[in-house]
Amino acid sequence: MTAAVPGAADAVPAAAAAAEAAPGAARRRSGLFPPLRGLLPLGLLLVLWQLTAARLPLYFPPPTDWAVGLRELWDAGLLLPAAAATVRTFGLGLGAAIVLGTAVGLAVGASPAVDRALRPTLEFARAMPPAAVVPIATLLLGFTATMKVVVVTSAALWSILLNTRSGLRQVDPVLLDAARSLHLRGSERLRKVVLPALLPSVFVGVRIAAPVALVITLLVEILTQVDGIGALIGLSQRNFQFARGYGLILVAALFSLAVNALVSTLQEYVLRHHPPAG
Amino acid sequence: MSQAGPGSTDAPRTVACRCRGASVELGIGPRSRCILDSVDLDLLEGELVSVLGRSGSGKTTLLRVLGGLLRPAAGSQVAFHGQPVDGPPQGVVFVFQNYAASLLPWRTVDKNVALGLEGRLPAEQLKTQVAEALETVGLADRARDYPWQLSGGMQQRVQLARALAMRPRGMLMDEPFGSLDAMTKASLQDQLQVVHQSTGATIAFVTHDIDEAVYLSDRILVLGGAPATVVHDIRVDLPRPRHQLATKELPEFLRLRRQVHNAVIGAG
Amino acid sequence: MRRAADGLRRVNVAGLLTMLALLGVWETAVRAASLQLTTLPPPSAVAARAGDLLLSGTLVADLLHTLQVTLLGWLLAGVIGVTLGLFLGLWRPAWRWSMASLELLRAVPPITLVPMALFVFGFSVRTELTLVVYASTWPVLVNTLEGARAVRPELRDVARTLRLSRWQTLRKVVLPAAAPSILVGLQLGLSLALVLAIVAELVGNPAGLGQGLVLAQLALRPEEMFVYFFTIGLLGIGLNAALRVLVARIPGTTPYGRRES
Repeated sequence: MTAAVPGAADAVPAAAAAAEAAPGAARRRSGLFPPLRGLLPLGLLLVLWQLTAARLPLYFPPPTDWAVGLRELWDAGLLLPAAAATVRTFGLGLGAAIVLGTAVGLAVGASPAVDRALRPTLEFARAMPPAAVVPIATLLLGFTATMKVVVVTSAALWSILLNTRSGLRQVDPVLLDAARSLHLRGSERLRKVVLPALLPSVFVGVRIAAPVALVITLLVEILTQVDGIGALIGLSQRNFQFARGYGLILVAALFSLAVNALVSTLQEYVLRHHPPAG
Repeated sequence: MSQAGPGSTDAPRTVACRCRGASVELGIGPRSRCILDSVDLDLLEGELVSVLGRSGSGKTTLLRVLGGLLRPAAGSQVAFHGQPVDGPPQGVVFVFQNYAASLLPWRTVDKNVALGLEGRLPAEQLKTQVAEALETVGLADRARDYPWQLSGGMQQRVQLARALAMRPRGMLMDEPFGSLDAMTKASLQDQLQVVHQSTGATIAFVTHDIDEAVYLSDRILVLGGAPATVVHDIRVDLPRPRHQLATKELPEFLRLRRQVHNAVIGAG
Repeated sequence: MRRAADGLRRVNVAGLLTMLALLGVWETAVRAASLQLTTLPPPSAVAARAGDLLLSGTLVADLLHTLQVTLLGWLLAGVIGVTLGLFLGLWRPAWRWSMASLELLRAVPPITLVPMALFVFGFSVRTELTLVVYASTWPVLVNTLEGARAVRPELRDVARTLRLSRWQTLRKVVLPAAAPSILVGLQLGLSLALVLAIVAELVGNPAGLGQGLVLAQLALRPEEMFVYFFTIGLLGIGLNAALRVLVARIPGTTPYGRRES
């Protein structure tokens, strides 16, 4: 799912994702692409667009122009650095979100007292639309790469936090008792039992957090023009270079698809020893 | 005099586990319930003791206290091999009723069995002990499978193997065969006997199955009352090794069975 | 007596105290700061400014604008999303011949369309509304679609053997079965609606809380920025809470109710 859902539910899209699996299809691969003939409408739309280009207003350039626009950006040496900046912000932001989300999720999941104490604060923080966070972040941190990463992390960590917390609650107490009765030390228990047991839940969170991280990266870039694909989109639009703008939107869409595919693959790899879900 | 244990003579046996005045209260405030009330018991070295009682009679609670998984109320004294119990005691392993939940689903069978030994033994010895344990429970050929690929009975055997690999002096088992079908149960009961005979470990075994208790044990502790205490302590003097059919046809078996049955009913 | 005690326990005392403690730390840190923290105002200043803005009516006006656009956009998105979602979810040929396109379209982050929308619709409330509707239609559509598709074939067979008409099947079997998913989609859509509204107000539409925030930023008034910041947060929480209460009132949803643990 690529729709940006900052501040929205966490475990809920997991239910939707589970509902995605067609009856009989392997549940693990929830990224089954629908029949390719479904590309027809989109294809027709693009063809139509191309053919009627002459009669459309200037800000609807035909698809072929988009490719030209991208080529121009590449040749001008703008495309690659922008893409790199976006990827870097995304990666750092998501990474920090995973670390922070897991850590706080563990703390909150392990201690009901801590959970209660932090609940209102976290609920409030979670509800902040990242768009509103951006001006505050620029106020406090300026127009820097750090600011970008902070905003991305602040939006992406919630689903990981909440899923880690619920994952911890779902760890069967018998498993923990067994580990204790085998005289495993605390750190061993954490490393060999708790963390692997949490991995599936953490990944549910990551699946949601990754698209969020990408979208927020683009959001920050569009709003603050610091660097990255988003900034480039804004720049192109301001210079009335619409074709480039569309080309960049296409690039953003490709990034989105790539992120989803990557997370799926990563999940399959990391959870390869875990039993199939369900 | 019971005749279990390797090299056993008629010499008096030492106490493996001593429990005095164990009380457990669960819940807080007005909702608290006293589960156990001043339970006293001794487990002798090499004995196989069943803890029997109706559902909800506190058998599991008692076992968890002995296993250091539950802290009893102040004033209780529980010691294993002379050491006071504060957390899972050295040399004692716990076998859980919910075998599926006690195994790590992301580890293969052999890695699961090795869990308690990792970092504590040199690699070679670890491999040997794991292999022996799997051999004992008859799962040597499933070593590389995952728990979810095995049947319920096999999973319980894996848990058993994990316990055996530790070469324990004591085993505490919480209704280990409760959720298995009759044939698997019988097979595992006999396997437990073999293990008991060959290792001489002290085994405390919670069950609500009277036949099982009489068949397996040297001694049966009947728990009853609310809060629970040990209301009966019945010696089982059937000859060993015991057989599913032959032993269960002995008049002594039937007499004991009736005695225990009445004890459990009467214990309330 | 019991009711009152329960009610008191419901109020998360520890939680509130933590929040107050954090505010206290913020306040004292800023006041005691030896660094030049001209950018970070203390909570007291923020509260004071909030009072001013409330009295002058600006804050309320902005809040109402954002609220109206969000709700309107969300309702429109709901209608479009549920209708389309049911259509695609229930009629397989439609799904087969369009889903792939939708998947690709869905991959385009709505935020990237904002600069474009500004050009086409200008700096107006139309831009804001269009963006809100476009963005929040997606979760509603996808969730409705999946909910409809996931209706167990057994239930559909039941409807057939009972000779229910198409419309009756929809009303009595499919909709209730798909309702949990649809509600999830609507909840996601609402959050998304607010987000896009704010974004649009930050860059495009000179109205609403987003604009208040940006104006405060341009006027170099940090306290005012924080007032708008917190108002937006409270609006988000309020909307979500209101929706949750409404959903709980609908019979038959509580078994599926998401426990916000």
